[in-house]
Amino acid sequence: MRVKAFFKKIGSLIVTKEIFEDKKSLRILYKYFLIGLLIRFIFLPFFFQRDLLSTYQKAAETLSTGNFLLDFQQLLTNMIHTIYLFIIKSIFPAISQLSSVLLEKDTWISWISFNSSYNVFTALTLFKILYLIFDIACMFLILRLSFDGEPKNKLRVFKFWIFNPVVIFVLYIFARHDIIGIFATLVALLLAKKDRKYWAIAVLAFGIALRFFPIMILPIFVFYLVRTKKDYVILSMLGVSGLAAAELFSYFYFGRSVIFSLLNSQHFDFILSPKLELVVGSHSSIFIFVAVYIVIILSFLHIKKKSFDILLNYGAIIYLAYVGICYFHPQYMLWTVPFLIIAFVRRKSLLYYHWVQFALLMVILIYWGDLVTKFVFAPIDHKYFVYLTGIIPIIERFYDSAKFVNIFRSIFTGVSLWMIYLIYKDNKKLLAGELKNREN
Amino acid sequence: MKRINLTAKIIILLFLAALISLLLAGCRGIFYIPGASYGYYIWEEDSKVFVEWSVDRKDSKFDGRISTDGKITRYKLKEWEEENDVIKVGEDKINFSATLDSKDYSDGFSFTVQDHTYLDFDLKINDGYDLSRINVGGFLENPENNIFRIEKDYFDQLKMKDWYQKRPFSEFFSKLFSNKYFTFIYLFILGIIIIEILRVTVLARRRRKIVWVAISYTMLILVEICIYFILRFLVR
Repeated sequence: MRVKAFFKKIGSLIVTKEIFEDKKSLRILYKYFLIGLLIRFIFLPFFFQRDLLSTYQKAAETLSTGNFLLDFQQLLTNMIHTIYLFIIKSIFPAISQLSSVLLEKDTWISWISFNSSYNVFTALTLFKILYLIFDIACMFLILRLSFDGEPKNKLRVFKFWIFNPVVIFVLYIFARHDIIGIFATLVALLLAKKDRKYWAIAVLAFGIALRFFPIMILPIFVFYLVRTKKDYVILSMLGVSGLAAAELFSYFYFGRSVIFSLLNSQHFDFILSPKLELVVGSHSSIFIFVAVYIVIILSFLHIKKKSFDILLNYGAIIYLAYVGICYFHPQYMLWTVPFLIIAFVRRKSLLYYHWVQFALLMVILIYWGDLVTKFVFAPIDHKYFVYLTGIIPIIERFYDSAKFVNIFRSIFTGVSLWMIYLIYKDNKKLLAGELKNREN
Repeated sequence: MKRINLTAKIIILLFLAALISLLLAGCRGIFYIPGASYGYYIWEEDSKVFVEWSVDRKDSKFDGRISTDGKITRYKLKEWEEENDVIKVGEDKINFSATLDSKDYSDGFSFTVQDHTYLDFDLKINDGYDLSRINVGGFLENPENNIFRIEKDYFDQLKMKDWYQKRPFSEFFSKLFSNKYFTFIYLFILGIIIIEILRVTVLARRRRKIVWVAISYTMLILVEICIYFILRFLVR
């Protein structure tokens, strides 16, 4: 009897009480989970983007030199990969056999050696299983974000995550590690929902130290959680503490600033590049995303009754504005997903637009060249795919490739901005609903 | 009207891109896109040997020599520019030198040869050898030596090759077979997931569920054994 109660508790803990107690819902969830897992497994061994190898090369170098501080911009992410690499290297001889490839300094030689090795599929599967673990953790965390007492809607949220094309593409075809930062952000959101304000901000700070991206939602997080005026100061300080800790550590250990290194990086330039020149030729201009971001933050600040669903909607708006306005790498699209899938349940048209976004992303990918198009298939036969005519020369033969891609990029921006408008309308509906509830 | 034209253009371009990708996957004979593909393309059609080259609209020089123990009887030039391109055809050899640029997408020639047992090729791109960019036959085989020989019935033999013996399939199957433990564990995991999906969907309402599950697992083991033999056959 005790054993049964124990398993019941575990089951409720994983899939939430509402779903666990409804056998039909539990079976549907299990079915979705299995189909999602099947799709993920199909892609696991065969595709990757060059950056996955770089990530594990840094981890291999860390293991070989014992210096955990090699990648000072992504210290925590490198640590996680190093520990994981140590574990799989100890268990699977296939990874040990690839040591020389992972420690090769020349990126091109290591890439070719990796792709031509006979156990490339084993290595890719093992490398990506780390992301699968975080992905599974995220899909069960996301169940708890919204729709309490509504098992059907929770199931829909689960379905939207598990079959999300961006999740599958970024984690299992592109193979990028953003899911680790997203996991931390989801934990922070869940803590915020449960009103654990200090813990929520502390975990978000950890997320910022992992991947910098959660910093975009830090202000709305703080505004959502503050209860007193003192909280503004405490929560803001706590929020940037992860970054401040990394900065102090970097300053004393490396003698250089991690914050300025990030600000000077090409990635931060993505935010500042879209600008409106006030006078042609002068250096006076407005950074479009920064201006839009401030409008979003202020509009959130002026909402009197900030519900958790509205916080999630604003998260979606911020990340949609980012990918809509700024230059971005394909994996950054993943940051919109956890917020969007909650909104999909209330407004299904958003889901269709999200699929359109994904289809457009596949065309925009061309922009980044061979590395993210034909080279992704290189593990199957690197020689064939390296010398296969790339998509850019083919387009160039008929039309200007930059124009071609930018037409689709513009449509992508239009769709993203329209999605923001739909979420804004959803916000209004949520606020009206709350007003009604209060009146009743 | 302008808007319709733009939409039509996008649709046509998308359709072309999809079509070209499919064709490039190597589903049928020789295929290259002048001005996009880069390298030499050599194939045989109606007893004529075709040698053509293309570059992605960059200034490039293609020169080389073809010799044989037979007799070259006829030749035909393709998109040849007299001012830049030179060809000398002898009884048993052809010497050529040609340039391509942003406006000149491709050049080439075809010839017929009689009473021969081989053709020797010495082909250069920008005064150097790049064997990965010399594509022979429909499935773009690359030669192994700088000066390479094609026997008389080489193209016929190449045509007789099955799809799984050609790139990228040959390399893919070879990797799967040489890494057997991974392949079979991977396929077994996929099988388990599929059986579980069947168990909670199709088999959920059936009687003697356990018998069906046992049958499914037996089938899975049989499929694994079959795959072993299929892979062994494919990479032989």
